[in-house]
This record gives sequence, C-alpha cells and structure tokens, in this order.
Amino acid sequence: MTAPVLVSVDGLRVAVDGRALVDGVGLRVRRGRVTALVGPSGSGKTTTALALLGEYPPGAQVRGTVAASAGPAGYLPQHPATVLNPARRVGVLLRDVARRTGAGPAAVEEALRDAELAGVEGLLRRFPYQLSGGQQQRVVLAQALLLGARVIVADEPTTGQDARTKARLTALLRALAARGTGILLLSHDLGVVAELADEVVVLDAGRVRRCGPPSEVLDGFAPVAPGRPVPAVPPARPRPPGPARLAVTGLTARHPGGGTVLHDVRLVLRAGECLALVGRSGSGKTTLGRCLAGLHSRHRGLLLLDGAPLPRSVRGRDRAELAAVQYVFQDARASFADGRPVGGQVARAAVRLRGLRGPAAADEALALLAGLGLGPAQAARPPAALSGGELRRAALARALIARPAVLVCDEITSGLDAATRAAILGRLAELRAGSGLALLFVTHDLSAADVLADSVATMDGGRLLPGPAGSSRSGDEAP
Amino acid sequence: MRAREAGGAGGTRRYLLGAALIAGPLLLALFGPLLAGEAGPRAVSFTPGGGHWLGTDFTGRDVWRQILLGGRPVVLVAVAATALGYAVALPLALAAALTGRAWLEEVLLRPVDVLIAVPTLLLVLLAATALSPGPVGLAVLVAVAAVPDIARVVHAAAVEAAARPVVEALRLHGESWSRIAFGQVARSIRRTLAADAGTRLVGALHLVATAAFLGLGVQPDAADWAVMVDRNRPGLLLQPWAVVVPALLIAGLATGTNLLLDAALHGGGRKGTRR
Repeated sequence: MTAPVLVSVDGLRVAVDGRALVDGVGLRVRRGRVTALVGPSGSGKTTTALALLGEYPPGAQVRGTVAASAGPAGYLPQHPATVLNPARRVGVLLRDVARRTGAGPAAVEEALRDAELAGVEGLLRRFPYQLSGGQQQRVVLAQALLLGARVIVADEPTTGQDARTKARLTALLRALAARGTGILLLSHDLGVVAELADEVVVLDAGRVRRCGPPSEVLDGFAPVAPGRPVPAVPPARPRPPGPARLAVTGLTARHPGGGTVLHDVRLVLRAGECLALVGRSGSGKTTLGRCLAGLHSRHRGLLLLDGAPLPRSVRGRDRAELAAVQYVFQDARASFADGRPVGGQVARAAVRLRGLRGPAAADEALALLAGLGLGPAQAARPPAALSGGELRRAALARALIARPAVLVCDEITSGLDAATRAAILGRLAELRAGSGLALLFVTHDLSAADVLADSVATMDGGRLLPGPAGSSRSGDEAP
Repeated sequence: MRAREAGGAGGTRRYLLGAALIAGPLLLALFGPLLAGEAGPRAVSFTPGGGHWLGTDFTGRDVWRQILLGGRPVVLVAVAATALGYAVALPLALAAALTGRAWLEEVLLRPVDVLIAVPTLLLVLLAATALSPGPVGLAVLVAVAAVPDIARVVHAAAVEAAARPVVEALRLHGESWSRIAFGQVARSIRRTLAADAGTRLVGALHLVATAAFLGLGVQPDAADWAVMVDRNRPGLLLQPWAVVVPALLIAGLATGTNLLLDAALHGGGRKGTRR
C-alpha cells in the first residue's frame, strides 16, 4: 500500500438536522488501487462518496477534511441516465466535455476506447435513452476520462446488470486502475468487491467498522461468503398451479422512435406463480413489465386479467384494475415525490386504490413498512433523507398496499445488502403462498430468481424464450 | 472544507434590497387611498412648494395626494391580470402536458399559438379602442394577452416533469388528475413558475402603465401613477416631482419584484435536487 494517495478523508462527519449521516469516517483512495466502501443500505456510503466530489446534502453541517490532490473526481452514479442530458446525442455530450478541457476528437476516440464503447455502432448519434444501462454507464465513464479524472467514484456500478455486463464492467474498472486511476467502489456485491478491491472499508450506521485488505475484512463481515448470495427463502415448491390471473398474447411493442422492442410475446401468470425474466440489458425486459402495468401502451397485443380484457393504458383502467396489476419501479427514488414523507405516499395508494380512510391507510402503511424493516422514523422522512435500499423497500410497500393480484418487480433486489434482499424475497414468497400473488420478477440476479421463481424466461432481442439465459443464444450488444 | 448553507449572506442582502424597493410602492398602493383625505382647493399648476409637499400637478392638484390615490389602479390591475392569466394558462398547459394524446395537445395549444403571433400592445390598443373598458376590462385584456406566453412556458416545463417515473407511479396508484397536475407536476416546476410569474407581473405592470400613459382604460385626469407621468410631462422643468416620483415608484415596484423572486429562487434553488 505504498501507492501515492490521491484522496484522503479524515474524521468526516456530515449531519442533517442534528442527525449524523456519517461520523468520523476516514479513508484513502490511492493511485492505481481500488478502495471499496461496503455496508448495509443507509450506512452512509453514498454520503461519504459524494463528499469526495465536494457534494453534501442541503443544510448539512460538515466537519473533518477531504483532501483531494488529484483534481476533479469522476462520478459513476447508480442510475447513469440521471447525469446524461436526455436531449443531446452522445457525440455532443462527449464533445462538450472535450471542449471544456481543450481536448480534440482524438481524445474522444481514446476515451471511447478506454470505456470500451468503440465497437458500438452509431453510438455517437444516439440519445442516452436509446442506450442500455450498461452503455449509459460507459458513456458517463468516458466523460469522466475525458475530464482527466484521476479518481473515479463508482456507486453500485454492477447493480441491475446481467452477469456478462457485470463481468465486463469489472474488467473495465480493473483496467482503469491498472492505468493509474484511483477508484472508490461502493457496492453491496461482495463478489465484485472481493474481486476488485485492494482495500475495503466497512461502514455501519455512519461509522467505520472495519478496514483493511479484502481477505481480512470480508471474512465474517456478512453471513455470506463473497460472491455467493444468501439463500433467503426456503423454496416452496412444488405447488399446484393456480388459475391464470394474467394472460398476454401477441404483444408487439414499439418505442416512440419506431423501433420494435417486443416481438409477439405471449405469457401466462397463474395465481401464486413467479416467473423470473432475465436477459441482457436492452433486451426489452423492462418494456414488457411496463406493458403489463399499462405504462407502455404503444403495443398491439391482448392483456387478459382473470379472463377479462385489460385496457392497454393505465389511463383506461379503473381502480380495481389498477390495484390488480402493480409495478415496482427500478429507480425507486424517482418514483417518489420530493419533499413529502414516504409513509404518507405509501398510505395514499391505499386511500386511492382501496378507498381506505386516511388514518386506517396510514396505520396499514406503517405496518407494511415495518414488516420490510422501515420504522416510523424512516416513514416520516422525505425520499431525500432515505437511502437507496430503504426507498426500494418503501416502493415495494407502496405497490403491495394496493393488494395486487399481479406484481411486476423491475430489478428490485439490485444494489441491496444481503439482509434487506432476504427480507424482500421472504416477503414476496410469503405473499405468493398466502394470497396467491402472481409475480413477474424482472432481474439480473440469477440467484434471487433461483430462490423465488418457479420458472425462468429469457428476453432476447425482444423475444421471450423459455429457460434461463445460458440455454439460449446470447445476443451481441443489443441497442 | 466548506459547509453549504441554504441562501447565505448574498441571498439575505438580495431579499432585503428587494423588500425595501417593493415596500414603498406597495404600501402606498394599498393604503395610500386611506390616507389621502379630502381634496384641498386647487392651486396654480406646476408650483413647487407653496404648502404642497411635492408641489402641484398640471391641474393644480396636490401631487402627494395624487400619488397616494394613484397606485391602486396600476398595481391592482397588474396583479389581477397576472393572477387571471395564470388561472387560465396553468390548467390549460398542464392538461396539454399530461395528456398522452398528441391530437389533444394540439387542440389545446394551437389556438394559443395563434394569439401569440399578435403583438401584445396592439391587441390591447385595438380592444381598448373598440370596447373602451374600465379597470376590470383592462385587467382581463392584459390577462388575455399574457395567456399564450404563460401557457407556452408552463407547457415546456411541465412536459418534462410529466414524463418522470413519479407521475407514472401516481397514475398507477389511481391518483386524481388534479393531484397529479397541481400536487406533483406544478409543484415540481414551481421555481420555473415563480420566475415566470415575476417577469409576467412586471410585464403586466408595464402594459397597464403603457395603456394608462396612452389614455386607455382610465380618465385623462385620473389619479394614476402612469397617467401622472404622462400628463405632467409638460411641466417637467418647472415641477419635476409630479413626473419623477410616480416614475420612480413604478420602477421600484418592477425592480423589487424581480429581486425578491430572484432571491427566493436562489435561496431554495439547490434544495432537494441532488440525488
């Protein structure tokens, strides 16, 4: 550990309204090394990482020092789409950054090569939303490289990625480190941490619990060996097949731009059944989920709920139909309104969809949140004061409070610590067995799919194929 | 290491300056008529002094009394026109932004686009000449002239806000249209709305003052700051106060409004935007 220090953080304390988000945190990011920051959700990882960029929550009281000798740090956020201007093409986004640093087209070429984007056809002419999550991530990385960032903060970079994209990103980060970039990696994925990190800092409730090389720190940190996710739920199979709740036939969906995303998809979800939907990013998994929930209505296809036709658009559905098919958004934070207590937003869904009175809805929301490990104090906070993992659970609670017959979950276990993930999977398994909830579980998390799902289907280039990814043709870079 | 405080010293200064600028004209406009008292006997036109604190105007009336009386029409008409403009344009623009149907969006916004092509002052002048409206009519006219611009700005901001996942989530949870439109979309673009409302108010103030200056919607000898500026021009060199004071009051109101809104936007501008 003699590599020069690029960033050093000492005794960092960030408090909002007297409540410390992190307290006394110290860490080093060194040239050519990967420092990993791990810990349960809400432990202060993101707060610490943002401090490296000079960003603090509004109204925060800050003590301690953050010394960055290496100039600007690049930030690879959990949801890369949020930092890419949606109205500008990738080429323009990159050239703008290049112009700021006085770099020419050659530098853009080089950054694209370093971010492993050089081979993507027509990339520079696309808009960010026309890229897959993995590609967006690499565009953000290319921007950071163009800026000359010598430190890169990667916030849950492998979250919600399929195994292949994940392996590719891991290799990319390792290659960057080998070229002398210092990397701060925030991750719940202990496998990735064990593989990449030179030093691991374990946070818990805003304090550093342990710190050292991964071989020492990760042993006994979690009840899981690195790389092997926790078997959360006792598999409750075999089960007699229930009646069909949702049947989909001939679903061919297009994007506003005109490209066809889904080709003639048909599927049946029975009561109590869980179908896991896997596939590369950009293959159409999310679009299928959105079609079922009525959020993507540009499709030809027939949806039948308990045998009755279901309107394509959420606008055409009545309360019972809305409540029957619920959807949990991948970006939980963006699905909550800013500045309002999360508990109230969960309760509101019950008021609207089930006609409960305010106090009864509030009680039920609190009980449901408590069952997912969120106490009344957390329920009373606005989204900005909750961590990504806490919001993920609140988003699930908001869908469950409607008592849906069919629940579409989009990557809801990604970026969660082992305990939270187990709690969520356990809750879903209970609901399947107890109230016959039918689940469409869109995921990259094959072990979660294994534990929870009766069957796995793979989305490949907009077509639904039975069986897990390995058994099918694995397409090349899908747009 | 710097800790960020919302607002900061610069923001407070801007607040104070804006409030100071706006306080005088606003208080005069609101409470002036209560303090004006009975009209005294007319004196010689354009005398500085002579028992009159700010001298006399072109008809020999006391300028101070005219100022006390003359703020209300200008300010009230401008504020009413802006409020009315928003009351019409905001629901229209939100409805256009939230409807998923392109044809409905066209139907809602095209008529407004036609109006936008007509110069505002021309519209007000033509209508005022044809209809010779009173203060209420003038407020309606100015509001009608402002609706297209407001609808355009609100629509542009709302389209983006209406496409966010939170709006989809609210739809999925059966939320009512008005809660989605006003509680979520309008709330999330409130800074844009505040900035627009500020410029709109100043624009309405100018339009009302211009109309009054041109003698529209008011009597030629009415107690009205804008009319005072116009009518007392001939005596500017003899008795400057009858022009300078009302002109300063209008300018102070316009500048102060913008400074205040500017400070409010800066103070809260960074809150809750980071993820």
